[in-house]
Amino acid sequence: MNVYYYPAFILMFAALMILIQLCFKRSHITSYLISGLSLFIALFMQFFLQNQPTSQTNNSNVLFIFNAQTSFVAFLLLMVVGLIWVQLYNWLKTINEQKEEYYLLFLLTTIGGLIMVSSNHFASFFLGLELMSLSFVGLIAYCGHDQKAQEAGIKYLILSAIASAFILMGAALLYLQFGSLSFSELLQNTSSQILPQWAVIIAIIFIFTGLFFKLSLVPCHLWVADLFEGAPLVTAAMLATLSKLAVFIILWRLVTLGNWQQYQIIIDILSIVAIASMFIGNFLGLLQKNLLRLIAYSSIAHFGYLLIVLLLINNHAISFTSQSFNTQTLFFYLVAYLFTLVGVFSIFMQLPKTKTVDDLSGLFWHKPLIAITLMLLMLSLAGIPLTLGFMAKFYLVMAAVSQQLWLVLAALVISSIIGLFYYLRVIMAMLKTPEDELKFNNINSDSNSLSLNLLILFLVIGFGVFPSSLSQFIQQLTG
Amino acid sequence: MTLFILLLIPLFGGLLAWYSERFNADLPKKIALGSLLSCWLPLTPLLNSMSFDANSLGASQWLLNESYHWIPLFNINTHLALDGLSLLLIVLTLLMGLVALSSAWCEITKRTGLFYLNLLWTLAGVLGVFLAIDLFLFFVFWEVMLVPMYFLISIWGYENRHYAAFKFFIFTQTGGLLMLLSLCALVGIHYQQTGILTFNYNILIQNPISGDLAFWVALGFTIAFLVKLPALPFHSWLPDAHTQAPTAASVILAAVLLKTGGYGIIRFVLPLFPEASLALAPFMMLIGVIGIIYGAMMAFVQTDLKRLVAYSSVSHMGFVLLGCFAFNIYALQGAVMQMLAHGISTSALFVLVGMIQHRYHTRDLNKLGGLWINLPKLSAFGLFFGIASLGMPGLGNFVAEFLILVGSFAQYPKLTLFAASGLILAAVYSLLLIYKTFFGQIKPSHESKISDTNTKEWCTLISMCFILIYLGLHPQPFFDLVPFSLMKLSFISANIGALL
Repeated sequence: MNVYYYPAFILMFAALMILIQLCFKRSHITSYLISGLSLFIALFMQFFLQNQPTSQTNNSNVLFIFNAQTSFVAFLLLMVVGLIWVQLYNWLKTINEQKEEYYLLFLLTTIGGLIMVSSNHFASFFLGLELMSLSFVGLIAYCGHDQKAQEAGIKYLILSAIASAFILMGAALLYLQFGSLSFSELLQNTSSQILPQWAVIIAIIFIFTGLFFKLSLVPCHLWVADLFEGAPLVTAAMLATLSKLAVFIILWRLVTLGNWQQYQIIIDILSIVAIASMFIGNFLGLLQKNLLRLIAYSSIAHFGYLLIVLLLINNHAISFTSQSFNTQTLFFYLVAYLFTLVGVFSIFMQLPKTKTVDDLSGLFWHKPLIAITLMLLMLSLAGIPLTLGFMAKFYLVMAAVSQQLWLVLAALVISSIIGLFYYLRVIMAMLKTPEDELKFNNINSDSNSLSLNLLILFLVIGFGVFPSSLSQFIQQLTG
Repeated sequence: MTLFILLLIPLFGGLLAWYSERFNADLPKKIALGSLLSCWLPLTPLLNSMSFDANSLGASQWLLNESYHWIPLFNINTHLALDGLSLLLIVLTLLMGLVALSSAWCEITKRTGLFYLNLLWTLAGVLGVFLAIDLFLFFVFWEVMLVPMYFLISIWGYENRHYAAFKFFIFTQTGGLLMLLSLCALVGIHYQQTGILTFNYNILIQNPISGDLAFWVALGFTIAFLVKLPALPFHSWLPDAHTQAPTAASVILAAVLLKTGGYGIIRFVLPLFPEASLALAPFMMLIGVIGIIYGAMMAFVQTDLKRLVAYSSVSHMGFVLLGCFAFNIYALQGAVMQMLAHGISTSALFVLVGMIQHRYHTRDLNKLGGLWINLPKLSAFGLFFGIASLGMPGLGNFVAEFLILVGSFAQYPKLTLFAASGLILAAVYSLLLIYKTFFGQIKPSHESKISDTNTKEWCTLISMCFILIYLGLHPQPFFDLVPFSLMKLSFISANIGALL
């Protein structure tokens, strides 16, 4: 059996272990350790698989594809999940529900994500997607007594079911044309055009609609803020990072393999969605008082920026960079954004009582390390130099300039400035003179969260100042 | 390594100052003073060896040139270099850093460690801007120096500080993003034309890009620098930022941060885009002239002393813009001189306003008056710097403005006529400032026990006086330092007759 399956199997095994454990004796710490251990081993294995020579079976019907790039994405995914897991124990202690099942669902979403990022077939992709989405419903509605969480759970269930239905319909139509569900088959343009061209385009749009739902890009973004606000914090973090990473990788692979740039309308749709996401995401972010809603809208805008990468694929307008540079841009941006976002969420987990921007006021004078970390993370999201977020933006601008996409670039600049307003508001709130001296006394600043903050700072600032090691690594990855 | 050490001293000094606050609230300012003074150490061999003679400058443009790899993927290096122009501005920065420190010495009592951290880091950022020759590195410093400045305004500023800091940051970031875009476009076009992917200024300058896009790229750079200068449509952050900032931050803002705009135009826009800047020139001259007159008129109607000085900055920096785009060696030298002289005279005025505010707790012109009776020394300094700001012959400002006007009259006589009227307007508002503050009625509300300048303040101000007088009476050494970096532009002035 292929060694590449091992990380997912380890996680699956751990999920089963937790299930068995639940039959005999409930123990929070045991579940925590089982999930952590499995994540750690999976991460470790994935790290070594990185250097493993790829097994070229070249059988186009295989369900999964494993190469350096998918291994890297899987590694990134496991790392993000691991960073979230570190804080899970302390956070779960604060809720009143049974705690062990959370780990179960947590691992299942991770498996779903892992399956998705290396899937090469609509069947495996869809299974992964459903495994992830359905576990998410449980994770969102986990706090049964919370009205908002229940509402959010129902919303997610219905909307993700609709999104899946769209994807299924699109996949079915594509099957009609290509006679295969494998992604690799999309590449081979069959000479016999069975369906009219508009039907293929509609199939593509169906699939896009479903994926845009999951990515909460603009016409399909209405659910995201309510969900971030209603869902438990860790679930929101998983939704913002794991789910979006997995879905975006699928979107990218479909666009790359399908050669869909030949249809002008697809390019137009992608550009419109990208520009609309940047503007509407940032504009709505401007109006928010709640921190999680703010992050939700900022994530819409960031995935709008990221869509630019899709516009660059196979676009040979005037290019001074190789095709692999687009892939590098994509990976660098994903790394930068996901690490920053995980950092933001882990800071939020350390501030349990803080809901709105005003609640942060005076944080800087009481808990300087937490405040400085959050400040730098906000600067990274805003794209100020010497942070990881800036390097990512620089990659993106370089890639887009090389192909002269002036319209989206103008949108990127203008909406970044709009975005700056609310990132600055968060920073400004922290700098205000505090009126309530005792407000932040209940924050637990144990060595665990302290070291996590330092790790985040190291990643975001360290790679921001010296990005060459990361950029070289990604360059090797894309060959 | 000299230049890197020069940058690292304030960075580490800042961290040390921050940490030392735990032990003693007075320690940070001493550490800040120490690190600012030790910044001179790497420069001393340099200042000694060339000792203001033009011959050593003739050898090559760069007196010091240091480069290390940074991001090989994009061929980005941490490339610092120093020539006459940057040397002048670095000396100005370090001097004004000391002035800012002197004005903050007693004024800042809260959170001193953090204050000096931000002060030193702002200075480090500005030094980086003046030294960076790799365009990417330049951009990084350009953006990063704003962050500590933002903190300086928004934590230690006056009543409306959050708004002012916000506005400052948004305006300058907008310019910065435009510059990022133009930067990438410049590198992209250069790559297409020559096949070399580089951010190195020395290489980019050898093949100035041409074509339609070049104009827009040049415009992007220019707007970013105009925001910082500030020129007319983008100036509105300046009065707010100056009014709300603590005195030390005002000094840094006026003395060095604004100069980065002028420096950027001289260093980057003119040599990198010779054709495009010729096309832009008439428009920029017009903006400059409007800025001169508008700034002076706005200064005249202010009742807040700091706002008055801030608008006078807008007016004076209009001259810099005029000088940069006149494509004439005299005007360019005048622009450099104006940056130095304005840096000193305006920051001296801000220091004075800070002192007045410290003593009377107001900056309102209508509530002040008759200071000469209580504070003769301070008022004498006020008179001196007010007169310097209106361009009295014998002081640096006069030399600068005269050269700019002479230089630009050759190319644009009509616009220069209007610009010259700025000198009269400057006299009007400067005299108004002097009259209303130092002479006239004594306002009754002041308590009698107000002390005159102490030794530290006196030393700071008197040394600034001497520098201004030296600049005015013997400017030649400074002109000798500058021309080499401007020599590259001279080919434009040779061609300008044919083109216009």
